[in-house]
Amino acid sequence: MLFLASEPFISLNIWTSIFTLCNLLIVFFVMKKFLFKPVKKMIDDRQKEIDDQYADAEKSKTDAAELKSQYETRLAEANAEKEAILKEAYRKAQLRDEEMLREAQDKAAATLRRADEQIALEKKRAMNEIKDEVSVMAVDIASAVLARDIKASEHSDLIDSFIDNLGDDHD
Amino acid sequence: MIEVTGPKILFSFSFFGLFDVTITETVLSSFLVMLTLVILSIWLGRNLKKRPSGKQVLTEKVVGMLYNMVRDTMGEHNLRFAPYIGALFCSSLLGTLISMLGFFRSATADISTTITWALVTSVLVWYYNIKNNGFFGWLKGFTEPIVVMTPMNIVSEIAQPISMAFRHFGNVAGGSVLTMLIYNALAAASAVILGWIPNAFISSIPILQVGIPAVLSLYFDLFSGFIQALVFSMLTMVYVGAACPPPAEKEAK
Repeated sequence: MLFLASEPFISLNIWTSIFTLCNLLIVFFVMKKFLFKPVKKMIDDRQKEIDDQYADAEKSKTDAAELKSQYETRLAEANAEKEAILKEAYRKAQLRDEEMLREAQDKAAATLRRADEQIALEKKRAMNEIKDEVSVMAVDIASAVLARDIKASEHSDLIDSFIDNLGDDHD
Repeated sequence: MIEVTGPKILFSFSFFGLFDVTITETVLSSFLVMLTLVILSIWLGRNLKKRPSGKQVLTEKVVGMLYNMVRDTMGEHNLRFAPYIGALFCSSLLGTLISMLGFFRSATADISTTITWALVTSVLVWYYNIKNNGFFGWLKGFTEPIVVMTPMNIVSEIAQPISMAFRHFGNVAGGSVLTMLIYNALAAASAVILGWIPNAFISSIPILQVGIPAVLSLYFDLFSGFIQALVFSMLTMVYVGAACPPPAEKEAK
């Protein structure tokens, strides 16, 4: 075994070359298998994940915008409907109001009319009663005055004219 | 006496009496670099998570940078070369920097190492040229753009790995030689400066060797090592990338 012997400064040594080549190839294969492939895969996977997430976010955003516009349309529709319903209700209420008023007026008028009729009837009846009573009274008075019986039937014309005169004074 | 030599021979043995196998410092360094990178790769590539933390962030950054470099230089369709470029770059960088530990000689300060890597690049270029254009298409490529250029093309094809190898080797080995020369020069200068001190021990302290070589080492080892690793990887990417045109371009040919 030689030690401290040196090769010339510029010298080709086939064994050095062979060992160097082997080492380079070993480094290449190990780096490729254990470092470059896994790291590249990791970077690509992450990139893909990020891209996917961005795409998802974009999609969500579009969906949300679409939903929003849908809701807005529906809200506008609902508002219009509400407006219509309110208007209808108001109209109906007004109609009902008027009807009720008219009914009440009708009823009142009918009641009044009936009352008038009754009053007139009562008045007539009272008048007739008074007439009868007055005629009886008149006969009584006359019989008392004449001290004799006067036949009512015979003097009815006289009595009637008397009463009519009486009634005219009172009317 | 300053002696500029190649790597020391650690030992040599006879391979069943057929031939002698010599193991040099370069092989030791190369082996250590390989071991370091293998352990580092497995350690860094383990337990990867979707939500990275600590070392994984750095690992992904470096690996991502390498992929980007390969994509920019060779194109999207040649991304599969990234692991090889990474292995080459790391082997070259650590192979140069290992000398900074003080016990080992740079693996790249040996022409045997760099010529091997350069030849791998050339073989890749030839392989993909022949694969894409056929054997005769590859030969025909030497006569382009005009037939007169054929000898030039052949020379440049041969010169390509040699120039790559010598560029890397020369930078690293030259750097180490220069560092050594400066060390010795500084020792001599120190002896002159401290020579008037009567004490033999004190006057022999190479005081100028403190600090100054460290600054130079920053350039010759760290910077130069990084640049050479980058240049070597870049050239490999450019040459191999040119031999592997994008699919659409290949159709057009």
